[in-house]
Amino acid sequence: MIAWALPMAANAQAADQGVIERGAYLARVGDCVACHTAPDGKEYTGGLAIESPFGTIYSSNITPDKQTGIGDYSEEQFARAVRDGVRADGAHLYPAMPYPSYAKTTDADIHALYVYFMHGVEPVNHRPEQTDLNFPFNQRWAIAMWNWLFTEDEVFQPDPNRSDQLNRGAYLVEGLGHCGSCHTPRGFAQQLKGFDASDEDYLAGADLNDWLAPALRGKGESGRGVVDWSEQDIVDLLATGRNAYTAVSGEMTSVVANSTSHLNDQDIHAIAAYLKSIPAHTGQAGGSASKAASPDKSDIAESGTEAKLASARDLSEGERLYLDNCNACHFTDGKGAGHIFPMLDGNSLVNADNPTGLIHTILAGAEMPSTPKAPESVSMPGFAWRLSDQEVADIATFVRGAWSNDAAAVTADQVAEVRKTLPEHSFSVSPGYRSTGRDQQPTSGEQLKGGAPVEDDQ
Amino acid sequence: MSSMPDDEQRRDFMRRSLTLIPAVSLGSGVTLTASAAEEPPALADYQPSFFNTDEWQFILAACDQLIPSDEHGPGALETNVPIFIDKELYGPFGHADRWYMQGPFITDGDPELGYQLPYTPRELYRHGIAAVERYCQQEHDKAFSALDAATRDDILGRLEQDKIDFAALDAAPLTAGVFFSFLWQNIREGYFADPIYGGNKHMGAWKMIGFTGARANFREWVEQHNVPYPLGPVSLSGERG
Ligand code: HEC
Ligand code: HEC
Ligand code: HEC
Repeated sequence: MIAWALPMAANAQAADQGVIERGAYLARVGDCVACHTAPDGKEYTGGLAIESPFGTIYSSNITPDKQTGIGDYSEEQFARAVRDGVRADGAHLYPAMPYPSYAKTTDADIHALYVYFMHGVEPVNHRPEQTDLNFPFNQRWAIAMWNWLFTEDEVFQPDPNRSDQLNRGAYLVEGLGHCGSCHTPRGFAQQLKGFDASDEDYLAGADLNDWLAPALRGKGESGRGVVDWSEQDIVDLLATGRNAYTAVSGEMTSVVANSTSHLNDQDIHAIAAYLKSIPAHTGQAGGSASKAASPDKSDIAESGTEAKLASARDLSEGERLYLDNCNACHFTDGKGAGHIFPMLDGNSLVNADNPTGLIHTILAGAEMPSTPKAPESVSMPGFAWRLSDQEVADIATFVRGAWSNDAAAVTADQVAEVRKTLPEHSFSVSPGYRSTGRDQQPTSGEQLKGGAPVEDDQ
Repeated sequence: MSSMPDDEQRRDFMRRSLTLIPAVSLGSGVTLTASAAEEPPALADYQPSFFNTDEWQFILAACDQLIPSDEHGPGALETNVPIFIDKELYGPFGHADRWYMQGPFITDGDPELGYQLPYTPRELYRHGIAAVERYCQQEHDKAFSALDAATRDDILGRLEQDKIDFAALDAAPLTAGVFFSFLWQNIREGYFADPIYGGNKHMGAWKMIGFTGARANFREWVEQHNVPYPLGPVSLSGERG
């Protein structure tokens, strides 16, 4: 018996292995790890605190542990959780779990995900912090109402008038990729204002905790960001976190690091092609103006900034501060260097209506994700320790009006507000040359004043 | 997913009549102000961390003698060079933190092999200053700092040329030449290093030589021929000179 049963079992496993791998890949597309892993926690054991307008929501342990994870979930229950936001015990999940987007996932993909989570992930016994919201937000049944009002529950339907590639791209972006959960504006009840390209608000750009998640609608004559980029530029950004124009920062950094940089070329190209197929709006978020659309900002004005900076004479405060602080990497032409230093000319973040992301970047710096195709995580230092609120405001105002940029001025008060949100260490952790290390911790045998004999101090 | 009747009109009405949910403001923290514009200390008020009082007098006198203030620019005292050396010796450099400091110490090897003594820079200064002071007492009955400028010059010259016998002053294996080379090297460092390290107060040394400071990139000047660079220096902390 045993002798002939073994090859059978091995076969079954080999078959499963393919499904497990597909499920693992789909989990990358869905970026499950980003939300279901706490900082310093084990993968998929949950406990990440997600700030929401209703209070702090903690993600669940989704390892197949039977006590604390989803080990007891049937495939049907798993499908209900991922697509409909309903837990095994029937309670509704908060939409911090992006089930409104995952709703589009096909049965076959749900199956692969299920097999992966049950057989490809180690069970870990760990009970994450429990979500405990105040009334009325602790009334999970009310989410059913919200779901009914604001979500759609259709599995993705390919459009026969679109190419296979575009259908694949739409499926990834609208579904598991849940790009819309950040890039689509939300309405008064935090609901997404659109789930596919037939909605004009879909991927029209949104303010995400005051940080612009730019519009991703890429089909148009000219504009900022994806409208101006080729398909390959989008592919580069998703695969490596950087392209000829920009580099990701803010929340997009982890999306690239954990999700898009792990996708295969075909899928990344499908995503890019789909984004390039959605008609852009003029003046869409992140596209406050385009070079062509604003004739008053002519080439003369552009080269005006560059010529002024290059001459280094009669500089405004903002221009002078730019030369002293930013020119080293972003250069007088504001074009930086492709794949290393982002272009500030025409940059979505620089031109965002809400300057918080720009201010944050100047104060705290930014670091590109390390990805399989571009392992080096080039970073920009933070300037919080070096520049006053007024100086940051002067620089921000300058770059928002320099070259072809065209966005409103920034005040010192706005900078002060952003500074308050930074962790305290951003001020003391100035670059290494600042402190000698020893200064903070004199060794015990050492007399600080008056100079004891040296021999005994080490 | 909804268990409720899917009635578009009702849905629309409900959507419009829901009240606004206030967004919480995220993040909290302590308000801090940028500290770039801290005024460097006055040399007279500075309490050394490494040097004792007598050693400090020696360092002040030696700095003044080696880079005096003159018509070309500020001297080592005006630019806080002694403070730089004190901090440098108090920090990792003083402890030879990154040097291989295990024996054997071969002190008669080729000069190309570099510094081979068993002393950390702190120890080297302590022994070196003590030896020079012993010498000054023997020859002149005074501390180095109490000597006139010509005599100090003479002594520094002898140190540089290794013409004072440190072995006879109980300082072997340290030699006058090695001590002087450390002293002169560190004084120059303090004079020209970024003010963030304690010396080069208000970038006085940079202004004197026309150095443009920590701007890191001057690409736009490569093609501008015969145009004087119009800007003064800038320091790592953002101070302008
Ligand atoms: C944007 C953040 C986010 C992402 C991405 C995300 N989740 Fe979740 N998920 C959550 C949160 C938060 C909860 C808990 C919500 C609650 O308690 O109401 C949750 C709950 C769940 C649950 C219910 C478990 C239980 O019993 O409590 C399952 C199953 C689940 N997620 C699976 C997934 C899978 C599979 C993926 C990837 C395809 C995924 N999640 C991606 C945030 C996320
Ligand atoms: C967790 C929120 C979040 C998710 C999910 C997300 N993004 Fe982003 N994305 C952002 C933010 C924030 C930025 C702005 C980054 C910056 O300022 O550098 C951004 C920037 C981008 C940009 C650059 C746009 C520009 O004009 O500079 C592209 C392209 C992009 N995202 C594509 C995607 C795609 C495709 C997906 C889905 C696979 C996705 N994003 C999912 C938050 C998100
Ligand atoms: C040492 C080089 C360096 C200096 C100096 C520097 N930056 Fe950067 N900057 C970078 C790099 C590298 C990035 C990409 C990091 C990322 O986005 O992940 C970046 C990103 C940015 C971004 C975000 C671009 C985007 O698309 O998300 C802005 C805005 C920016 N820098 C502005 C400035 C300003 C203003 C200054 C001067 C106060 C400055 N930088 C100084 C290297 C530098």
